[in-house]
Amino acid sequence: MRRDLAVVGVAWLAATALGELFARANLYPTIRSDKGHEIVEAFRTLLAFAVPVFTFVLVVLIYSVLRYRVRGQPDADGPPLVGRGLVPVAWFVVTAALAVTIMIDPGLVNLPTVVEAYTQPDLVVQVGSMQWAWTITYPQYGVTTRSELVLPVDRKVRFDITSADVVHSFWIPAFYMRIDAVPGMTTSVSLRPTRIGSYAEDPNLRLQCSQLCGLGHALMTMPVRVVSQADFDAWIHQQARPASGSSPAAPVSASEHGTGGDAR
Amino acid sequence: MWGAFHSIGRGLLWAVLGFAVGAGGLAIVRLLTGHSAWSFEASFSLGYLGALAGWLMGVGMWERWGRTWFGLPAAGEGPHDWRRYLTFTTDHKVIGIQYLVTFIAVFLLSGLLAMLIRVQMLDPVHPLLDPGTYNRVMSMHGILMIAVAVAAIIGGFGNYVIPLLIGAEDMAFPRLNALSYWLIPPVAILLLLSQAFGGWDSGWTAYAPLSERNASGQVLFNLAIITFGLSSILGGLNFIATIIHLRARGMGWARLPIFAWAIFITSWIALLYTQFFAAALLMVQLDRIAGTSFFKSAAGGAPLLYQHIFWFYSHPAVYVMALPAFGIVLEILPHFARKPLFAYRWAIAGFLGILLMSGGVWAHHMFVAGMSETLLAPFLVTTEIISIPTGLVFLSALGTIWMGRLWLRPPMLFALGMIFNFLIGGITGIFLADVPTDIALHDTYFVVAHFHYTIVGGEIFALFAALYYWFPKMTGRLYHERLAQLHFWLMLIGFNGTFLPMFWLGLHGMNRRIATYPVQLQGVNEVVSLMAFLLGLSFVFFVANMGYALLRGPKAAANPWAARTLEWQVASPPPLENFPRPPVVTGHPYDYGVPGSAHGVIPREGAAGTLA
Repeated sequence: MRRDLAVVGVAWLAATALGELFARANLYPTIRSDKGHEIVEAFRTLLAFAVPVFTFVLVVLIYSVLRYRVRGQPDADGPPLVGRGLVPVAWFVVTAALAVTIMIDPGLVNLPTVVEAYTQPDLVVQVGSMQWAWTITYPQYGVTTRSELVLPVDRKVRFDITSADVVHSFWIPAFYMRIDAVPGMTTSVSLRPTRIGSYAEDPNLRLQCSQLCGLGHALMTMPVRVVSQADFDAWIHQQARPASGSSPAAPVSASEHGTGGDAR
Repeated sequence: MWGAFHSIGRGLLWAVLGFAVGAGGLAIVRLLTGHSAWSFEASFSLGYLGALAGWLMGVGMWERWGRTWFGLPAAGEGPHDWRRYLTFTTDHKVIGIQYLVTFIAVFLLSGLLAMLIRVQMLDPVHPLLDPGTYNRVMSMHGILMIAVAVAAIIGGFGNYVIPLLIGAEDMAFPRLNALSYWLIPPVAILLLLSQAFGGWDSGWTAYAPLSERNASGQVLFNLAIITFGLSSILGGLNFIATIIHLRARGMGWARLPIFAWAIFITSWIALLYTQFFAAALLMVQLDRIAGTSFFKSAAGGAPLLYQHIFWFYSHPAVYVMALPAFGIVLEILPHFARKPLFAYRWAIAGFLGILLMSGGVWAHHMFVAGMSETLLAPFLVTTEIISIPTGLVFLSALGTIWMGRLWLRPPMLFALGMIFNFLIGGITGIFLADVPTDIALHDTYFVVAHFHYTIVGGEIFALFAALYYWFPKMTGRLYHERLAQLHFWLMLIGFNGTFLPMFWLGLHGMNRRIATYPVQLQGVNEVVSLMAFLLGLSFVFFVANMGYALLRGPKAAANPWAARTLEWQVASPPPLENFPRPPVVTGHPYDYGVPGSAHGVIPREGAAGTLA
């Protein structure tokens, strides 16, 4: 028994070391928001905890199968280990400690930061969703667009989101953030874009509906572009001019969209 | 042949009559109140209620209940040959096989739909199906598999094995048991028939308001779920009564086999929570046909309410899926390791912990739904905590195989495979329980991978473990060993190859339930599809093995595994009354390696002595 435990112990340490190396790899798409960095940090921490748990069970499982298998029907029973002593207690204590630890950090500790809502954002973006398109309004500038979402880098942006019909979901993969769009409610997401970029260079810089909403669900997308403040100001200015061809619509609000109406 | 299909035929005929009564009754009310006589959704719903009553009466409730209600003489017994599988038979062994055959057929059909989904996913630029068809295919795959996951093990092996395992002659309520089964064909018919009325494209989760605005097939889906829920609840009731009251003499709770414990605990969950699924869909139905506005925000309703009610059932439902799987694996390991079930009491404590907590975690499905932020932390906490009782199952499994004498027959292979797969499934759940990471991963293929690992990798592997374990008992025949091994390895490799990359896909921007996806993910999707076809192929060998075994398999002995539990102490297959005389239990079921121990004996006729 002691030799078995020693071999398992060594194998577990070796596997864990290997696993932790893997866990340090950059498995993540380019992170383009401050919240995204928090989220990836949380993911990494959870992965670091997950590795030894995974390798422990795996090593015991594989070692047991290799070491204790018999050819043909066993002609004798194994030792009657019933598990009423310290081993289950130790297991319970360790697993409980692990669960409580990750519950606190990276769970409860990160939660407030990731879901915080800006009360004083630099930019407010109103997002209207309907089957199957997005309408973006910048109420501070009286600009509405249906073709792309443009944002200034390093500014605090709060998205206020609603739906005109069914539940959609506002998701920008490169920002690692999402919230559902619900008719009759306004939900919100607050974040700072941290890198300049466009959909053409990073396909994850897109707004994609992330809640099944019917026929056009898969294609309910919109490219996202993050630009410098100066470029953003120029773009807004261009959108607001009637000659540019896109008419400045009144700010989109939940009441204006209606809230779904009757089904039949 | 007329005799064989008499029950089903009469059930269908009375269903048609019942439909006419239901729809007709509604037509009268509608005409009297100034409406047109017929409105599809409302009329179909009322018609269905009549049809269901007619079906149940016609297929056998009339003989078993109706006659006594009207003071008529009781009906005779039904057929005793193969035709009893097509009639309202109360023998739990027949019902178990009816469930198994039905749900394996459903599983294979839904598997074909999965193959279709993976063909679709080969090409995001020129996909096979148009988006509407894809959404309906995906929705159907979802609900059929949910049905299999919720009912196959309990209905199939629960019914067949539990009375044998506890030394009983049958379930506590044999007629109710048959009724639970015969509620299933209407569910299947409704789901398939829904496609003739536009199908439904809201997934199996059927979120409102989409499920209140889509095609009329949604109505048939709602009625199917309500019917299925009734079957589950009646079944749960039956198992609870059976396990409490019909245990053999000497079988105290501390000597109850672990599979029986698992079914017992599962039945409480099914009994308590299934009604909420029915309630949620009933509300959708009423919003559609009766002018209510539970989920219509314009009229004061709340879409989020649907999600709360739905998930209040649908989270405990995953324990209805997982606990029987745990029960099967922990049941099999002792016999194939020739050791006691390690930490038996802790495993049961784990099951109880899951039961107690299962109703307190549901909103982790709604972290990004837009609900109040004050709910995020509590559900994060409860969801993390529920991993502790779940982990005790691994303690028991590992402790049982450690230092055992491992006999790697097909049941054991699948049980061990289940442990490996559920390890990955369980660990990845942590990333979804953690709110920050869940925000990024919700509704992506990470979630798809997680639940396929737990339900397919966990529960379906356990289902096949049970099949290969109890097949000789149920059929009296042995299957082909090599074909079973081939099935196992192809399934293990195909399954892991299909779903492991999906964690990566989810992290890299592929969300769920989409008919097409960003083209840069095509390479990985192609690999996934190829591995999925391998997984599908593995079932061909399974079906071939079943055909071979049933037609040409060598006869099975009473106890091919030299196992100690009571079902192995009677013939394969068992006689009608299961035990020639009620067994007496004298010890723990898994006391391998304990000299002089015995679990139970069937007393010799007239003798006070025992066979050890």
